[in-house]
Amino acid sequence: MRFELLAEYELSQIHEASLKVLETIGIHTTSERFKKLLLDNGCKEEKGRILFPRHVISNALKTVPREFKLYGRNNSPVLEIGKEKAYCQTCVGTPSMMDLETGEKRDATVKDLEEYTRLADSLEFINIISPIFPRDVPQEIILTFETATLLRNTSKPLSICIESSRELPYILELLALAAGGKEALREKPIAMLPVSPLSPLEYGYDPAEALIDVVEAGLPLGVEPCPMMGSTAPMTVAGIAVQHNAEILAGVIASQLIKPGALVTMSSRATFMEMRSGVGLWAMPEMGLAGAVMNQLAKFYGIPSAPGGFCGASKIADSQSGYEHLYNALMEALIGSDIIGSAGSLDNALTSCYAMLVIDNELSSVVQRTIKGVEVTEEKLAVNVIAEVIETQSNFLEHKHTRKHLRAGELWVPSLGDRQTYEKWADKGERIEDKARRIAKELISNHPGLTTSAEVDAQFERVLERARKTEIGS
Amino acid sequence: MSIEDIFLEARETILQCDQERAVRLAERALAEGYDPVEVISSGFSYGIRQMGELFGRGEVFLPQLIMSSEVMKAAVQILDAAIIQGETTQYKGTIVIATVEGDVHDIGKGIVVSLLKTQGIQVYDMGRDVSTVKIIEKALEVKADIIGTSALLTTTLMSQKKLEDELRKNGLRDQFKTMVGGAPATQRWADRIGADAYAEDAAEAVTKALLLLNRT
Ligand code: B12
Repeated sequence: MRFELLAEYELSQIHEASLKVLETIGIHTTSERFKKLLLDNGCKEEKGRILFPRHVISNALKTVPREFKLYGRNNSPVLEIGKEKAYCQTCVGTPSMMDLETGEKRDATVKDLEEYTRLADSLEFINIISPIFPRDVPQEIILTFETATLLRNTSKPLSICIESSRELPYILELLALAAGGKEALREKPIAMLPVSPLSPLEYGYDPAEALIDVVEAGLPLGVEPCPMMGSTAPMTVAGIAVQHNAEILAGVIASQLIKPGALVTMSSRATFMEMRSGVGLWAMPEMGLAGAVMNQLAKFYGIPSAPGGFCGASKIADSQSGYEHLYNALMEALIGSDIIGSAGSLDNALTSCYAMLVIDNELSSVVQRTIKGVEVTEEKLAVNVIAEVIETQSNFLEHKHTRKHLRAGELWVPSLGDRQTYEKWADKGERIEDKARRIAKELISNHPGLTTSAEVDAQFERVLERARKTEIGS
Repeated sequence: MSIEDIFLEARETILQCDQERAVRLAERALAEGYDPVEVISSGFSYGIRQMGELFGRGEVFLPQLIMSSEVMKAAVQILDAAIIQGETTQYKGTIVIATVEGDVHDIGKGIVVSLLKTQGIQVYDMGRDVSTVKIIEKALEVKADIIGTSALLTTTLMSQKKLEDELRKNGLRDQFKTMVGGAPATQRWADRIGADAYAEDAAEAVTKALLLLNRT
């Protein structure tokens, strides 16, 4: 696909502006380790801020890998990050859940985490799984608990947001157990670990330390700040892109200073605000537009991109959430996106919804189909076929070209959307949300179950036990 | 200028976010010998309350609201300087507010702060990632009426409970009203931990704060 949102000169204006931000405004950090890393490698300190000279930026950007692979387990497909395949990732961190039975919003629970993960595991076009945040878990070990639960209920690659370095050792241990050892994990990473610095341009202690530790552990890092237009970033799409790009680049550069060649994605989350109420929005069109600009920048640098996209402001799985999610995700995919996050989310990434995840699976499917583009070959141009049909006064239904390409998958097939005749549909009159909910229930109950061996599972239990003892003391 | 005209113009400068005019008006009111306390309460403060109400009804945008508090601040600064000692501006109450320990989400809390300020409530904003101990210390120091906490993470939500527990443990619970907010907080949560109020957004936060202060 060859879509561009910005002309080349506009893109380079944004790039230059970001460099200017890094050179003259720089970042601030409260982590001495992070600060030392940057200063030891050519950055300068001025009035308590760390400035990035051009050569530091350009040298670091040279060593960022363009591509890497993310692995599943149990023969789950290998993901080629860097090839702009628009892999779909579930939304991280939602504290609330739409109940599958009642359709009402309530706190997320451990049972949700298990069932939602199994649902995502069963949906073909959901490619990477991130945890929702259950409330009925000791919150001191929530990330450790989530990692174990994800590994127990899916074989797909994971994305686990790292809040601080505190739980990182347990997470790495669990991942290594599932991957068959530390070395195996590093060679074939089964998870990527994003961290979130603060906007504007602030590398707080926890994300900065976590960033260093993730890179040192040799796993793919995501740099994922979440600025908000008009609140923690400029009010303009171009302005948020400049700042967001600069703050992400700062993390990318740091990763390369720690380890040249470290795996990293630019995980943009360019959000905005409802200025009448102050609600933080992950809606359209600005989220998709800004995400697309960020993707174009990532492409320009040759760095994998992973924006949030299957998102919107709608509170339920309905037409609004359908069009918001499709707009944002497609917009980003058309420009070129490696991963698109936030799938299954509602209410600006505050709630996860089983039905919405089934709908997003459908949207992901059509997005991934779209970016494959239209193949143009002699055979597909079909001039001879047209001639034959006209000559024989028949129609295309009878022609073998039709059968052949039907079988070869020329037509996209929805797994959810309705395409029956009116009469057939009216028989049940099922709405798409209800159908999605029905499919969700079926998939959850048909899930084969535990995705870890009994042996690994027992080892998990020991890690959890240790985490519990150390972090809670009980 | 009559005092009524001063009041009207003061309100207008706030609604129009016209700082220059507001400052000039404040100076003029003083020069003409009007009572600064009255000019603030029936003039500028009245305007800012109107602004807050307009925002609550979705008729004004957040940046305008914030801008108008800046205008207010500039005018009040001039008038305050002329107020006789001991007769300082009347606040409806004092609130200490913070984002709890381990949590850096402060955008929503910031909006709540701006709106509370527009309603004549004195606000001590302690920022983000603030420990329970520090919050209580500050509340004691400034003799706060209300302690408000914001938590955006399920992991940090527990600090709102910790605050209630600490207050109770130290026999301080009756000295303060407590308010909780942030995306994972709910009315149910507030009830469970024994907080006095919960608010879903900034407009509701103001309503609830005024209720707690018995000032509706
Ligand atoms: C912006 C943002 C960030 C920014 C914060 C920047 C900042 N300066 O605040 C950054 C990128 C730093 C960030 C980091 C993280 N975040 Co965050 N973040 C958000 C996001 C997108 C928006 C929050 C926001 O500002 N909303 C807009 C404001 C206006 O709304 P509000 O805060 O709810 O406030 C309103 C009301 O709640 C109320 N209110 C608020 N406070 C108070 C106080 C009182 C007293 C009262 C009465 C009312 C009240 O009034 C406000 C105005 O109307 C939310 C998702 C979302 N949609 O909310 C996630 C979210 C809160 N973050 C989340 C997560 C997971 C994280 C991280 C752990 C991610 C990571 N990998 O590092 C870190 C944690 C950092 C930390 N230790 O705190 C999760 C929470 C998960 C959970 N269940 O705990 C969320 C829900 C997103 C998600 N799905 O993952 N985040």
